[in-house]
Amino acid sequence: MAKVVHEIRDPIHVFIRLDSDERRVLDSSPFQRLRHIHQLGLTSLVYPGATHRRFEHSLGVMELAGRVFDVITHPDAVTDEIRQLVPEVAKENERQYWRRVIRMAALCHDIGHLPFSHAAEKELLPAEWDHERLTCALIESQEMKEIWQNVTPPLRPADIVKLAVGPGKAPDLNFSVWEGILSEIITNDAFGVDRMDYLLRDSCHTGVAYGKFDHYRLIDTLRILPSPPTGGDEEPGEPALGVEEGGLHSAEALLLARYFMFSQVYFHPIRRAYDIHLKDFLAMWLPGGRFQTDLNRHLQTTDNEVMAAILDAARDPRRTGHEHARRIVSHEHFRVLYARNPEDLAKNIEAGEAVYKSAKDQFGAEHVRHDKSPGEGGASDFPVRLKDGRVVSSLSVSDVLGKIPAAAFECVFVSREREADAKKWLQKNREKILSAPKEDEV
Amino acid sequence: MNRIQRLAIITRLMDCLDEKGSWCGETHIQKAAYFLQELLRVPIGCQFVLYKYGPFSFDLRDELTAMRADGVVQLCLQPPPYGPSLRTTELAKRIQGQCPKTLDKYGEKIAFAADRLGNKGVSELERLATALYVTREAEHGASVDDRAARIRQVKPHVPIDQARESVEWLDKIAEEADQAV
Repeated sequence: MAKVVHEIRDPIHVFIRLDSDERRVLDSSPFQRLRHIHQLGLTSLVYPGATHRRFEHSLGVMELAGRVFDVITHPDAVTDEIRQLVPEVAKENERQYWRRVIRMAALCHDIGHLPFSHAAEKELLPAEWDHERLTCALIESQEMKEIWQNVTPPLRPADIVKLAVGPGKAPDLNFSVWEGILSEIITNDAFGVDRMDYLLRDSCHTGVAYGKFDHYRLIDTLRILPSPPTGGDEEPGEPALGVEEGGLHSAEALLLARYFMFSQVYFHPIRRAYDIHLKDFLAMWLPGGRFQTDLNRHLQTTDNEVMAAILDAARDPRRTGHEHARRIVSHEHFRVLYARNPEDLAKNIEAGEAVYKSAKDQFGAEHVRHDKSPGEGGASDFPVRLKDGRVVSSLSVSDVLGKIPAAAFECVFVSREREADAKKWLQKNREKILSAPKEDEV
Repeated sequence: MNRIQRLAIITRLMDCLDEKGSWCGETHIQKAAYFLQELLRVPIGCQFVLYKYGPFSFDLRDELTAMRADGVVQLCLQPPPYGPSLRTTELAKRIQGQCPKTLDKYGEKIAFAADRLGNKGVSELERLATALYVTREAEHGASVDDRAARIRQVKPHVPIDQARESVEWLDKIAEEADQAV
C-alpha cells in the first residue's frame, strides 16, 4: 500500500511530515529547484557552515505553519468574541480547507527566489518585479495548477498566493480578516513562521547561537486576539496574531534573536561585500544584465549555473566579469571604508550617501561601492492576553521589547588597491563631507 | 521627492497631529498619511493596500522603522493596555529645517490633514480612511449608500449607519480640501 504520510528528517524540527498531495508539491520542478538555492547566498564564505538551502527551510516553514494553525484554531484557544469577528475559525470544513492552503502556501512561499536568494534581487530584476511576484506566478503556473486541482477539495491558487506572500506583496488581492490573520502565520513581522524557521536554521548552520529561542513555548501560546486599544479609543481593534502572557518571554527572545542575527550575520560587512561582487558579476554575465522573468528560464537558473560561471570567469581574464569573479573566488573582496554610526547620522541623515558620492568622485566608480539596508525589526507591537483576561499591547507590558533597536546597515566599500589612500582621504575630509546638505543640494 | 524631503513631510505631519491632540500611534500616522497622499495629493511615494484598519502602507511601515533606526522618531511607551505613540526627535526638527521649500509647498495641506484627523481614534480613522479608499475605487458619482455598502463588504464589523456617516464626512472634507488648499 502506498504511503500516505511521508517523513523527512530535519536538523531543526527532527521530523517533518507531509501527505501525498504535499509530496506532489515537493516533487514539482519549482520546489526541487530550491535544492540549489542557498538560503544565505554567499554567506558560507564568511560562516562556512551556512551552506543550507531554501529547500529545507521551506519544509520547515510548512511544518511550523501547520503547528501554528492547529494551535490558534483549536476550539479551546478561540474566544466567543473572536468567533464572532472571524466566523471561519469555527466552521470545520473551512478550517480543514485553509489548513491545507496554509501548508501549501508555506511550502511555496520561496519558490520565486533568484539564485543566491536576496543577494541580487533588487538591481537585477526588471522594475516592478521581485521574488514574491515570481512566487505568485509560479503558484499559478500550469504545473502547479494541476496539483491544486487534484487535491480534495481542490485548492484555489489565489488563496495559496495570498497566504504565501501576504497583503504587502499581493496588493491587487483583497484579504478578508481571516485571510489576513492566516497570512500573518507565515509573514508576520514579529513571529511569522518564515522568520522563526530561518532564525533557528541560520543560527544552527552558521554556528551563531544568538538565533535560538524557545519556539515550542512561543507556538503553544500564540492566539488570535483583538488588537488592544490605542489612547482615546476604547474599542478593541481588528483581530491579529498575539500571545498569551505566558509566551511573552519567548516572543521577546525571538525578537532579540532577530536583532542579533541581523547584527551578526545578515549585516556582516564582508558578507555584504561578497553580495556586491556577485551583483557586479551577474550584471555583466546575465543577458541584458538582468534576470529574466520568464518562468522556464527562472526554473533553469540556480546557484549551480551561476557558481560554475563564476569559477570559469575567475580562472580566465578574458571571460566576462573576470574581475568580480576573481574577487569572490580569491577572497579579495572590497574593504569597509565607512560604516554608519549615530554620531554622523545626527549631523547628516544621508551621511553614508554623502561619503559614497565623494569617494566615488575621488577614486572612481570602479573602486567604490555603497550598500544600505534601512532598518529591520525593533520594537514590535502585538496583542498579549494577560492572565486576568485583558488584552494589552506587548509594548505596554514588556520590559524588553521597547528597548530592542531596529537593526540597520550602511557601509561604503573601497577596493583594496585604494584602501589606504581612501582612509587617509576620509580622515582629512570627513567634516566637510558629512556637513548636512541644503535642500537644493540633496 | 528624495528621502530627506519625505522625512520632512512625515515628521511635520506627526508634529501637527501631536499638536491637535492625536495619540500619534502608527495607525494614526498611517491613516493621516493616506489622506495626505490620496486626498491632498502630497506625493510621499507610498503604496497603500486595504489591510489593518483600512488602507495601510507597508512602505510607510518600513520607513517608520528606518526612521526609528536613524533616530528621527522615537517610541513613547504607554501604560497597559495601550499601544505606543511615536514622537519626533531633535533630528527631525533639523531635517525639517533643511527643507523649507518642501514644507512651504505642502505645509497647508499637512496642517489641513492634521486638523481634520488629529482628534480621531483608531476606529474612526479606519472608517474614514476606508471611506476614502472605496470612494477612489468607485466610479465617479457613486452614491453614499453604494459606498457605505462597499465599506461593509470590506470591513464587516463597521455598522452601516457609521459607514454612511463616514462617506458623508469624507465628501464634506473633500469639498473643503478643494476650497482650502
